[in-house]
Amino acid sequence: LTAQIEPVQPHSVHTLVFRSLKRTHDMFLSDRDCLPAPDPTADKVRQAVKARDQFGPVLHMQSSAKTARPAAGKQAAIAAAPAGSDGADSNSALIPASAASAASQPASSADPGSAAASAAAANTASVQVGEERMLVPKRAPLMPKPDWHPPWKLYRVISGHTGWVRCVAVDPLNRYFVTGAADRLIKIWDLASGTLKLSLTGHISTVRGLQVSDRHPFLFSCSEDKTVRCWDLEENKVVRHYHGHLSAVYGLTLHPTLDLLVTCGRDATARLWDMRTKLCIHTLAGHSSTVAAVASQSAEPQLVTGSHDCTVRLWDIAAGKSLVTLTNHKKSVRALAIHPTQFTFATGAPDNIKQWKFPDGQFLQNFSGHNAIVNALALNEDGVLVSGADNGSLHMWDWRTGSCFQRHTSPVQPGSIDSEAGIFALAFDRSGSRLITAEADKTVKIYKEDETATEETHPVNWRPGLLKKARY
Amino acid sequence: MSLTKLIPSPTQRLSERSTPAAANAASAADKPLVAVQSAAPPYGHRRGWTPRRQEDFGDGGAFPEIHSRQYPLGMGQPQSASSGPTLPMTLGADGRVNFDAVVRQGQRADKVVHSKFSDLLPKPIDEDDPSFQRPDEESIKDLTEKTRDALQRLVESKAAASNPVRSAERTGPAQFIRYTPSQQGAGYNSGSAQRIVRMVEAQKDPMEPPRFRISKKVPRGPPSPPATVMHSPPRKVTSKEQADWKIPPCVSNWKNPKGYTIPLDKRVAADGRGLQGVHVNEKFVMLAEALHTAEVKSREAVSMRAKVASRMQQAQREKHEETLQQIASRARGERAGLAPAAEAAEAAAEARERDAIRRERAEQRAHERNRKGGGGANDRDRDISEQIALGRPALQRNQQDPEAAFDSRLFNQDAGLASGFHAGEDEIYNVYDQPWRANASSAGHLYRPTKGLEEGASADEELGRLASGTGRFVPDRRFEGTGGGAGGSRRDGPVQFEKQVEEDPFGLDDLFDKVKRSETVGTGSKRPASGHRDEGGSGRKRDRRD
Repeated sequence: LTAQIEPVQPHSVHTLVFRSLKRTHDMFLSDRDCLPAPDPTADKVRQAVKARDQFGPVLHMQSSAKTARPAAGKQAAIAAAPAGSDGADSNSALIPASAASAASQPASSADPGSAAASAAAANTASVQVGEERMLVPKRAPLMPKPDWHPPWKLYRVISGHTGWVRCVAVDPLNRYFVTGAADRLIKIWDLASGTLKLSLTGHISTVRGLQVSDRHPFLFSCSEDKTVRCWDLEENKVVRHYHGHLSAVYGLTLHPTLDLLVTCGRDATARLWDMRTKLCIHTLAGHSSTVAAVASQSAEPQLVTGSHDCTVRLWDIAAGKSLVTLTNHKKSVRALAIHPTQFTFATGAPDNIKQWKFPDGQFLQNFSGHNAIVNALALNEDGVLVSGADNGSLHMWDWRTGSCFQRHTSPVQPGSIDSEAGIFALAFDRSGSRLITAEADKTVKIYKEDETATEETHPVNWRPGLLKKARY
Repeated sequence: MSLTKLIPSPTQRLSERSTPAAANAASAADKPLVAVQSAAPPYGHRRGWTPRRQEDFGDGGAFPEIHSRQYPLGMGQPQSASSGPTLPMTLGADGRVNFDAVVRQGQRADKVVHSKFSDLLPKPIDEDDPSFQRPDEESIKDLTEKTRDALQRLVESKAAASNPVRSAERTGPAQFIRYTPSQQGAGYNSGSAQRIVRMVEAQKDPMEPPRFRISKKVPRGPPSPPATVMHSPPRKVTSKEQADWKIPPCVSNWKNPKGYTIPLDKRVAADGRGLQGVHVNEKFVMLAEALHTAEVKSREAVSMRAKVASRMQQAQREKHEETLQQIASRARGERAGLAPAAEAAEAAAEARERDAIRRERAEQRAHERNRKGGGGANDRDRDISEQIALGRPALQRNQQDPEAAFDSRLFNQDAGLASGFHAGEDEIYNVYDQPWRANASSAGHLYRPTKGLEEGASADEELGRLASGTGRFVPDRRFEGTGGGAGGSRRDGPVQFEKQVEEDPFGLDDLFDKVKRSETVGTGSKRPASGHRDEGGSGRKRDRRD
């Protein structure tokens, strides 16, 4: 036998070691964290051998597994629910395979192998740890595919104010919108044409908050001169003053169903006013710094406030106490927006814009990427969240997935310097198709969706894991 | 998959006590070593016994004859609920330890507190999940009503304080309550099992002022426990970032209301001068270099030219000297009758020396002359300051003596105490005690026309020449034959007076004249027989009465 010995190729030790290392790596890397997949035939063979060895003489008798199955079924019914969930919640308990399989296929055979295979097809993966085989929920995809929204474009610029335009409010019937500015004027503009209809004077300092009531012909305004005024729009004059704030009033909101007015200000309180009697019903104390934003809704909790002490509070207005304090933000919360149809809301701060769920303020997700002082948030019924920042940038986000589909900075009006770019307030009109922006270059800009854009012309820029967004 | 599932379950439950030996052992094991007494020993036999557990009290109270602390039903026991800073560890519904008990202590159990890590994790929006949908209209309406009522009550209570007094409010209807007391028996409630209680609202006196003083300021209670911080601690600020945000103090160039004294370097720094870069154009350097080279080159050129010129001059001079020497030697030779060459050379040298001496002496004389000055044209042309510098008196065309050239007031002036005071008289007016131009020397400092002036001529002569010589300055030329007296061209002065001829109707003047003439004819007076009388001539406008 002359074995044809191939001459050994001379290699350095380094090469040999490296090659062997690489081979090992290739062979085992994919299986690194996984235990070997259960091989049902091998298991069966092993079990059969052992059974014959141990219980050979009695195997012909009826096994206890069949008698014990109804009991197992009862157990499964109790612990069934989270088996099929696709949540990324790692706190969910590991479910024994037998129970899960019994839940999914109670009538079929109690063969654990087949049950595991079927369950693996769902959102769970079957993992063998020792003797027990468990179902572990697979991790949810990092970024679900966002919905397509048409991009927004500027189509009208309205100048008329001689100071920063600080707040916007829209008429409930969508005929006009109102703006308040640092020139102490409140101007009423026609929404369709953008022409000025009326200027109201009376405030002695910057007008910071405006709201038009849907049930009365009233316009409410609050200002840095500590006053809150109620203007009668039929007579165009002030009919009520709400006295009580100790310092500048920064935000104002009307309760949708009750005749209540809520204002918040620099004295770290939010005040609840009875519209008719001008009394301060509750002084909601609890924040330790300026309360910058306030929003109200008809369901519990009826009031949300955001403050410069980086917290968001949800209040019970009947008792005048805060229900929940959310401390997830690291920087001042200046903007709030409640979703019109969903039971969710968003808060904006320079570190992140966060999405939350009512009624407990459960954190949902981050809209990260707008690294600027967010002064205003506005939410659409189509699921478009717009955030406006102090440097004049507008980011449009998809509400459901948290992805930003448009970043826009409009140029300042001619005559302004570049540092005068800034957005102080945002409002969607009642139809949700026009976005009104109150800016620091003393203009009001109106945006609308681009009708000519389609999914092909402006495709969604998305890839799973494209944007490393802040997880919490 | 355990193998026990493959075999049938046991039919008979074999207990450990099947064999008597085993049963005995088990029963022995069951028996406690110490007999437990269920109740307290009877009265009289309690010596040495102490109640330890709640069951020892039975349904009675403390035992007075046992002198130890007893807390039947736990009554009177000091509360160990506030037992230091420890909380009991509890398990939650999912079997895990409640680590947020620390956070939740002091609050009601159902208060929402976010303290778990899962509260930080993102959750997807599931639109089908009812928890993501707004509550239905009915529940919202209920909530609205409840809130409205609560707030209305508050508003009313606040507004009632300012309301005017109204009539007494109607009390609500009386409520009847059936009450079954726990202690029943013949002795209680006069034998009946139930009682009926009538509840009535107490009437409020509308005129009554408030009963309690609520204006007293009470310090605020403790705040609710702080919320858990659900974010990572703020990042440490790097020194570079801190430096970026550093705002220098405002030092104005215009205002300083508190009057601070700020060192100059801070004032300059506030200007922003340190931030500017001083950029000098390179062409300055180039210009300086170019100038330097140009100067050097020009100096070279000038020096070279000077050298060349001096050399040429030297050569010329030598040549000239040579010729002179030659002439002198020839002359000497002619005189001495062709003297030998050696002597001629010596003679020439001596001659040269003598010439040099002569030259020097001539130069000295000229220098002296120049120094002394005199009425040379040089002096006249010099500026007064130069004359002063030369120390020469300013001499005029009239060539006055040098002594009068200086003002005597400039000499013998002593500016000591003797001068100037005048014994206190301040009415002395001695500034103008001498005429301004006492000597004619000062007249030379004034302008006098020098052009076209012959030497020695005075200005008056010249003026006369100008007036009469040239035909330019003729007072208004009249027609010939016009004007009175000697053809009309005679003028006595700038103002020409006309003699007013007096009318003499009676011819008296003629008479007088005749008489005088007849008297003086003999004496031979030379008085001209003209109408021109000197006595009453010029200027007489009226008759002069003698």
